[in-house]
Amino acid sequence: MTLAAVSDAGPLIHLAEIDSLELFATFDTLFVPETVYKEVDASGVPDGLADLSYELVEADESRVGTEELDAGERAAIAVAEDRGVVLLTDDLAAREAASDAGVEVRGSIGIIALGYGREFLDRDDAASRMRALQRETSLFVTEAVVERGIRILDER
Amino acid sequence: MAAEISDRVREIAEARGLPESEVFERALERGLEGLWEDLVLTRYFDGELDREEAIERVGRTKVERAERERELVEEDVDWGLNA
Repeated sequence: MTLAAVSDAGPLIHLAEIDSLELFATFDTLFVPETVYKEVDASGVPDGLADLSYELVEADESRVGTEELDAGERAAIAVAEDRGVVLLTDDLAAREAASDAGVEVRGSIGIIALGYGREFLDRDDAASRMRALQRETSLFVTEAVVERGIRILDER
Repeated sequence: MAAEISDRVREIAEARGLPESEVFERALERGLEGLWEDLVLTRYFDGELDREEAIERVGRTKVERAERERELVEEDVDWGLNA
């Protein structure tokens, strides 16, 4: 199945923090809104981003009228709506706004699981990266929840 | 990392006007609190604690947040394994 997605800054930053940007290659097509690229660029483009294959796209974020979201999150939602692709975000408010708009949404843990599902990673590598995401990055997620995710990998 | 910890402890102690020993004590308390919450939530998710016991130990807000996170992580992992 062909899989296309658009990412906001969260998964790009969090997966870069654990040297896992290559997992975006599990998507057949990846869009990055220009606004998101500028947000990521503001703190220094992560190593590995230049090696990724992605399409930089313009987006009209002003039509996504949720004030609690930042410009990058709104741009990513606009692209996901326009192109009918999966939104990648780790922000709960962005996730809820996109879901309300009928957009399919996934986060960094889902990207790691996809890497396992598509056999880019073995089970131990996937589990190790999920734990690293919780321990070594700026993403807030409860350890018990990550362990639950790893258990689902094992139940496969 | 050890040097970074020492530098941070010194900076916090100076900024807050505290002895370094108290900075270490507070750090231990905060870290222990986080580890304790993770243990309680793990036991709740594993069925060793019921929901009300978990709420009593770490508070309703943390339990509800963890439940929401669990729901999303379960959805994401299922999706990743089947996409």
